[in-house]
Order: sequence, then structure tokens, then C-alpha cells
Amino acid sequence: MKMYVATIPGSALKVRSRESYYARQKRVFVVVVILVAIVPLLFISWAVSRFYQESWLDKTTVELTSLANNRREIIDLFLNSQENTLAGYAELYDFSWLSDPANLEKLFKAMNHQGVIVDLGLIARDGSHQSYTGPFAEHLKDKNYAETRWFAEVMHSGRYVSDVFTGFRGVPHFVVAVTDPSRSWILRATINSELFNALLASTVVGPGGDAFIINRQGEMQTPSRQGLASLPAWEKTLLLSKDSLTIHNTQGFLYATTGMKNNDWILVLKTDIQTSLADFYRARQRDQMIIGGAGLLIIAVAIVLVFSMMNKVEGADHQRVLLYDRIRYSEKMALIGRMAASVAHEINNPLQIIGDQAGWLDELLSEEEPSHLKNRDEYQPAIVKIRAQVKRASTITHRLLGFSRSTDGVKSATDINALVEETVSFLEKEAHNHRITIQRRLDSSLPLITTDSTQLQQVFLNILNNGVDAIGNDGEIAISTSAAGKQIMVEFADNGPGLSADALKKVFEPFFTTKKMGSGTGIGLAISYNIMERLGGTIEARNGLEGGCIFRVTLPAPLGNA
Amino acid sequence: MAESSILVIDDEQEFVSTLVRRLRKRGWKSEGVLTGGEAILKIAAGGFAVALLDMRLPDMDGSQVLREIMKINPQTRVIILTGHASASEGEEGIRNGAFDYLIKPVEFETLLEKLQAARERSP
Repeated sequence: MKMYVATIPGSALKVRSRESYYARQKRVFVVVVILVAIVPLLFISWAVSRFYQESWLDKTTVELTSLANNRREIIDLFLNSQENTLAGYAELYDFSWLSDPANLEKLFKAMNHQGVIVDLGLIARDGSHQSYTGPFAEHLKDKNYAETRWFAEVMHSGRYVSDVFTGFRGVPHFVVAVTDPSRSWILRATINSELFNALLASTVVGPGGDAFIINRQGEMQTPSRQGLASLPAWEKTLLLSKDSLTIHNTQGFLYATTGMKNNDWILVLKTDIQTSLADFYRARQRDQMIIGGAGLLIIAVAIVLVFSMMNKVEGADHQRVLLYDRIRYSEKMALIGRMAASVAHEINNPLQIIGDQAGWLDELLSEEEPSHLKNRDEYQPAIVKIRAQVKRASTITHRLLGFSRSTDGVKSATDINALVEETVSFLEKEAHNHRITIQRRLDSSLPLITTDSTQLQQVFLNILNNGVDAIGNDGEIAISTSAAGKQIMVEFADNGPGLSADALKKVFEPFFTTKKMGSGTGIGLAISYNIMERLGGTIEARNGLEGGCIFRVTLPAPLGNA
Repeated sequence: MAESSILVIDDEQEFVSTLVRRLRKRGWKSEGVLTGGEAILKIAAGGFAVALLDMRLPDMDGSQVLREIMKINPQTRVIILTGHASASEGEEGIRNGAFDYLIKPVEFETLLEKLQAARERSP
């Protein structure tokens, strides 16, 4: 079947032009298979990751909310207890008793088991320090608070807790102040902010997180774990927006804020989402590598499968195209055969008449008195020439009719090798004259086959004649016979010039000849093709790898024979 | 009349007329017709020992004419003339009672030999 490509190059071209179609189909299938396999994989991976992040966020939100509530309560409780303790003393003792530094000292010691209070002072209605106990007596002895805001505040509402400030002491602290029930004097304590800070320090907010308190101006009331001295403007705006417990998820951080100390202060708990999810990201990275590996495997399998499948499809299509071309070629040859037969038949009648008229002329001329004929010597040869040309033309028409005629021959058991030998014997003399040797490599194990030996011999003869003509002088024709599978094969290889691609394409068409004008009719191989079709075999032509032309005739081997 | 005449049946008038003249020149009684119908009438009228029958006729198929001739006068020696180079048509004719067949174009000498042979075999 492959040989046919050489016989009909057009079909090979057609197949080649479809290659880009198969390449495109391969690409499409590979892409589709990959998409179908990988997209769900990626989607699942994305969904799992997304689900994990969201559930972590939900869990962390709950935790942070509860933590914020808890810390707010503790700190509020702490502040209240300081305030209440101080208020209790203010109710219990009067101004004159507290004015005695020794008494104040006693009170300070009683209050300050835990080192919560730094100092304690008694301030008179006019804002002057009446009495003081603590480490800063020298600095505060003559201090008057009448003009300060907290003094006005505490005189107005009876209780006051300040923001954290550094003051002249150079240490961050805040004060708790209460008045006596008649609001005529003030008892004031400075709270150790270290101890206060410790209440927040134990808050668990994860790596990169923070826990601090800000006042209404957004100023830090407790130190930031991340060492922030002040907050950026956007963070202040965000954190000061709500008093009630609020969760914000922004800028990669999860915030829990809640107002405390009667909403003067805001407690801020802040978790760094990215840093907290670091373990998850590591796990996800590992998963992604596994998915990537699986994806590569899928791609490789898809490519291998699609290519092997498409190559099979392409092969089948190729065979189909070749078969189709072969059928078309057969049909074309049959049509040409019928046309040739019809033309030959029509020409035979006029040829008959021309021949008859020439013969009639010849007869009549022979009766004439030679002396009366002026061109006597010319008539006779002219008639002979007419009859010779009629004979020549009729030879062609007879061969053409032979090309189309249906099987007349008788089939008999034929020894192919013997047939080859006999055919060669017809030509040996002519071959010898042209110094052409005819080699035989005949397979002695060939079975006898039932075929029309006369017609088959005509095929062999036509091929050999062509070979001799193609070589001209000095050369070799090698004939080999072999049995391959269900076929018997006879090959004729000459070492002539071979055939051009165009000639290979047309070699079996009638009237195609490479011989000089007038030396060949171009019918021999067309008849041979026709005969082989009828005998159920094939005839193919190709050029040999080392030059020359090779004709291969195949015949079906008889059943039951090797 | 002894049946010694030759009947040439062919649709090619030039072929028929020249052949008849040449045969007559040799002293052979002969006549020509251009259709199968005329041929059957001639054979029915009698007097023809040999018929040269072209297989392609305008009105009838050659083999049909052959069968008619064989029915009318089985003694007639029919030589089939065919434009087909195939032997099958001639051989089929022989099976149907023809004496011999020739393939066009045929040499006059060959034709004469066949006609001679047919006449000699004539009863």
C-alpha cells in the first residue's frame, strides 16, 4: 500500500496537507484533557485553602473578641478597685487627719501591698498640696493644681482617672483622684504603669500581634509590643470609630477594639494574619508542590495518550485516503480503457475501408497497360505504403481494444518462475544485442498459482521491453521472485535512468511514453495495469535507491500455500 | 439456383460496395446489404451459401441476425466480422452456429481465404 504513494504522488501531497489539521487537533485535545483534569484539582486546592483561611479567621475572631472582653473587664475592674479604695478612704478619714503626713504615710502603706501605687497626695480646695507621701516630695511640695484640667474634672464629678502622661517625673504614669463627699478636698494616687502594662502583656495575640490601650486622641496609653511610639493616622481613625466591641479585618491585620474606662480609653488587640498563618502557608506550599507534580503527570499522560491516539487516527485516515485514491485511480483507468476501446472500434471501420480501397486500386492498376500509365513506378509503392500504415494503425487499435477487453483468457496452474524464464528467453537475443544482462533471483519455493499465464506473460514482456528500452545499451535487469505472506511478488529492477516524479505518476496511463516520438505507443504498461487489476494483483513502479526503475508485480497466493 | 452466392452484411456502404465489386471481379457471385432486416429477407429468399456478417448493424444486433439466419437456413456459412479485437464475440458467434470470425480491419487476402474455406465446406 505504501508503494502506491510513489505511483500516485498526488495522494501523498493530499495527506501531507492534512498534517497541520492533525497537529491542531492534537493541541486542542491536549488542552481539553489538561483543563478537564487540572481545573478541578486547582479548584479543590483553592477551595480547601480558602476554607481553611476562613475558618481560621472565624476562630481567631471569636478568640480575639473573647480576649478583648476579658481584658477590658479585668482592667476596668482594676481601675474601679483603685478608684473605690481611694473613695473609701476619702469617706473614712477627714481632711485634718489626712493632712498629717504620718497618717497619709500609714494609709499609703496600707493601700500599697502590691506596689500598685507610686505615691499618695492630699490636695486642698485651692489646689495646693496639703500633704504628700511618696518619692517625689521635693518636686511636688509646692505644686498647685488649681489650673489643671483634671483638678476641675475631679471637683466637678467627684472621681477621675487620668490618661497616661510622662509629666515632670519623666516616667509614664496616670493618676486616680477622688474628692470627699462634700467635695472640699482631693485624695490623689499615682498608679504604677509598669504593673498596669503587665495586665496586657500576658494577652496572647500571636507573632507580630499587638495589645495596647489608646485614649480618645489615639495616643498610646500602654507601650506597643512592636515598639510603636504612635499610630499612623489611618489606624487611629479605624480604631477610634467605635466604642462597642468591634472586629476590623484590614491591611493584613485582625483588630478587636472595645471602649473601656467609660469609653475614655480603647483597648486594641491586633493579630497579624499573615504571620499567624505561616504554618498554614508552609503546609499549603507543600500541597501546591504535590498538586503541581500531579498536574505535570496529568499533562505528560495527556500528551502521550492524545498523541498516540491521534497518530492512530492519522494513520487510519492516511490509509483511507490512499485507498480512496487507489479506487479513483482504478476508476479513471477503467474509464480511459472504455474510451480507448470505443475510439479504436470507431477507427477500425475507416481503416478497413482505406485498406480495401488501396487493395482495390492495386488490383485495378495491375490490369492497366503499363505503357499508358505516366507515373507507373509511383502508384505501386504508394499503395504499399498506404497498406503498411493501415496495418500500423490497426496494430494500435487492436492493442487498445486488448487494453479494455474483458477476461477471455483461461486460468491454469502457473509456475511463475518458469513463466519468467520463458519470457526472458523471448528477449534474450535483443538484450544481448544491446549488451544488457538479465539476472534472475528466483525463489524456488514459490507455489503454483492459478492465473491467466498468457496475460501475465504479456505483463512481464511489457515491463522487460520497457526496461531494455530505458537502459538503451550496456546495463542490467534483475528479476526476483518471492513469496511474502499472502502474496507472490515479482520485481524487475533495471539500472536505467529511472523515472521522474511526473512520469511515475502517469506511467500506467495509456499513451504516456518517455520513448522517442514514434518508438512507443505508451500502451504496454497501461495494458499491464489493466491485466493485473483483472488478475487480482497489483503493479507498482518506483525508483530504486541506487537509480534505475523498479516494477513490482504482486499476485495473490493460493490459499493453503505458504 | 445453387446456393453459391456470398452476402455481405455491413452498415458501411463503402466497405460493402468495394468488397462486392472485388468479389465479383474474381467471379464470385455476391450481394451486399446495409441492415439486418434486409439480410434476413435475402437469406429467406435463398441462394446464399456464405454470409459475411458485421456485428454492429443499425437496426439489429449482429448476434440476433445470426440466430435468425441459422433459423431460416442452417446451411448458411456465416463469417462474423467484428470491430472488437476481442475473441469472445467471435467465439460466442461460433457457439451460435457461425462458421468463423474475423477482426476488423482485415486484409482482403485473409478475407478471401476464409470465404474460400467457407465455400468449400458448403454442402
